[in-house]
Amino acid sequence: MGLIPIMILAALASTARVFTVIGLSILTGWGFGYISIKSKVFENVYVALNEVFESVPVIAFFPVVLILFVNRIGGFVGVELASDFLVFTAVVWNIWIGIYQAFKTVPIPMIEEIENLRYGFLDKLRYLYIPFSMPRIAANLIPSFSDAFFYIMVSEVFTIGSTSYSTFGIGSLIVKLVRLGMWNYVSYALLILGIIIGGSVYLLREFSTYAIARYSLESDIPVPRTRQIQRYVAKFYSPIIKPTKRIRYYFASKRAPTRGRRGKEGYDYYSERETGQRILKVLGSAVALLILGIIIYSSFSLLTSITYAEWRYIFSNTLEIVYALAYDYARVAVIAVLSFLVALFVSYSIVNHRRIEALLISIIQILAAYPAPAYFPILFAVTYGIVYRFSGALTTEFFVILLGFLSTFYYIFYNIWVGIKAIPKEIWELMDNLGMGYFQRIRYVILPGTLPYTITGLTSTVNSAWGGLMIAEYWPNIVDGKSLEVSHGLMKLLDLWTYQGNLMLASWASFIFSLFVIVFSVVFTRNMMNLSKEKYVIEEGIYAT
Amino acid sequence: MKKIIKGGEVGRVLEAVNIGFTYGKRKIFEKISMSVGNGRIVAVVGPSGVGKSTLLRVLGGFLRPDEGKVLLMGKEVTRPTPKIMLIHQSIVTFPWMTALENVMLGLKYRKLPKELCKAIARQMLEMVGLEGFEDFYPKELSGGMRQRIAIARALAADPLVLLMDEPFAHLDELTAEALRRELYKILFNVNSTLKGVILVSHNLSEVVELSDVVYVLNGRPATIVAKVEIEMERPRNPRDQKFYYYIDVLNDTLLYKGEV
Repeated sequence: MGLIPIMILAALASTARVFTVIGLSILTGWGFGYISIKSKVFENVYVALNEVFESVPVIAFFPVVLILFVNRIGGFVGVELASDFLVFTAVVWNIWIGIYQAFKTVPIPMIEEIENLRYGFLDKLRYLYIPFSMPRIAANLIPSFSDAFFYIMVSEVFTIGSTSYSTFGIGSLIVKLVRLGMWNYVSYALLILGIIIGGSVYLLREFSTYAIARYSLESDIPVPRTRQIQRYVAKFYSPIIKPTKRIRYYFASKRAPTRGRRGKEGYDYYSERETGQRILKVLGSAVALLILGIIIYSSFSLLTSITYAEWRYIFSNTLEIVYALAYDYARVAVIAVLSFLVALFVSYSIVNHRRIEALLISIIQILAAYPAPAYFPILFAVTYGIVYRFSGALTTEFFVILLGFLSTFYYIFYNIWVGIKAIPKEIWELMDNLGMGYFQRIRYVILPGTLPYTITGLTSTVNSAWGGLMIAEYWPNIVDGKSLEVSHGLMKLLDLWTYQGNLMLASWASFIFSLFVIVFSVVFTRNMMNLSKEKYVIEEGIYAT
Repeated sequence: MKKIIKGGEVGRVLEAVNIGFTYGKRKIFEKISMSVGNGRIVAVVGPSGVGKSTLLRVLGGFLRPDEGKVLLMGKEVTRPTPKIMLIHQSIVTFPWMTALENVMLGLKYRKLPKELCKAIARQMLEMVGLEGFEDFYPKELSGGMRQRIAIARALAADPLVLLMDEPFAHLDELTAEALRRELYKILFNVNSTLKGVILVSHNLSEVVELSDVVYVLNGRPATIVAKVEIEMERPRNPRDQKFYYYIDVLNDTLLYKGEV
């Protein structure tokens, strides 16, 4: 078979992998989402874990995945599962939380209607919950697709120690072609990939338009907790902080007549359904406790299996890890600020020019889905000379930041763009009317008015920037014998330790990294999010009965 | 039915000369000529969807007319200007700004010193009856109070004309009535540079209570089918016979659309 048909097959294989993983995320999301709204215990565990894992960048899973799938399962299946799982962790959290939020915000009258008609579990899902979740799934599809393609390039081929593992796909094929210096074929592969990505994005856009047109609600029906889904991590941890409160709540709930008991006492015709509900509740609680148990047991087994000498070894490297992490946070800050500024000024400039906006958004959507690691070597080869002339010693940093930017910019861009689009027309008219200048508009209205969107976008941008850094900080022989390698950086250490087969140190570095990310998320992101939702919701600026 | 059709008034502040507007392929209104004179409140009434709000936006320079022109003190209006301030049907305040900061926004284009801006904003808030609420955020205030902030912000911009697009539509009747009673005093007080007001409404009592001249808009595309002058002393009593008479006149005019 010629190389071109192989490229087409490889691109199709990667695309199929992406769609399978997205499909799996949606299916499991529906199941877990439904159990969440039926079982409080499951909901608390599910949402808390989702929040934690969502804030930990996908690359933190890398060493764990390698240990689990490559070492324990091994062979073709192990490598394939490792690749799929990495992509899965890149897309699943957004989809799961989106479906959960959709299920939690189904309007009460619709739930009452379906309860009234005594629909069973599958019918409820089929006729109410699944259709209702479609617009949110549609909204998440293109970002998830982009994410998946980005990570498929990283996960289709990886090296541990002296062994290189790869699965069949366009990512692994491009890596091989680059190594062999077959640049013509690299460009053909990129072209084929571009066509497939363009087609997929087009289909996804069509589906999104269809899903939103068909399944969106356009009514004044009261929707419970539409604005803010309570942040369950805080709720989950609250009993630890205030155990007495939890105990009081438990006994109060025991005393209060619940709907289930009322059904038992008076409304016999409910009893059959109530039994089903109770089973689901118990099942949900059991699954939640099982997940918690597995996490606690695994952590405990892992910790006890490490010898004293090993503890000393990993502790002796901890300072270096933290130091390298500080470097990376500085890089992430530069990427985030750069992305924010570009996103703000570009989206503000295009939002009132419909044709330019439509064109630019389509281009950005395709570019976003086009995995940066695939075309970066070409960009590097073409621009290295010029960049080196101007940046000198900072050339490596420039390219690291550039790859970080290319792999993560669109998150904040989409958010700010949507935020500016959401500004009510009355406010645009008022700004025109008051003769406000460009920077006055940005300072007094656009920046504060899009803050909730900016924080969401910034969080995703920061989380995804790590993926870009992981590739850019240590990329040996990127092109023509040149390499990208920073002097300090945690992502480089993770790369190096994984490459050297030192999975213990890589896992420890991932663990420390995750801790920092979670603390950052709890202290900074969540507070900013709360502040923005409390004070900066521009839609609340419009008072209409 | 008595319809008083008269020519334009002396001392026109804002004037529409034979204007028309098309949205997509649909002609919304055509051949509209109207004006607002010094110290007068002009109302535009008409059934829902006839194009009242669109007309207001054309008068304010937010939309360009396809035909004719809009003149402010004799000069053509080509874009929005703080000299013609629009007050929206849905009350607009910025949730992250206090009442005072919201009003100060109306002064930004004047590039005055910050302290002076504060002083003027305070004065405007006092004028609309919100003294003591300067540091409150909009969500801590009622709908009526928020609309007062919007009015104060508009007046702070030193406008010559105020365009009010159903300004009481989202207020409960008691609040709306209280605000209506005070409105004339608020708008045409000694500290205000305001010369005229154009009010869009489909509430005929409100129109009779507030305005000096009423233009009735009807038909497809809409045209002015009648101009009614309200000749009553202020403050106007809704129980007055004459009040009922004007409501009847407007009702009849609206029912017999296009038959001027």
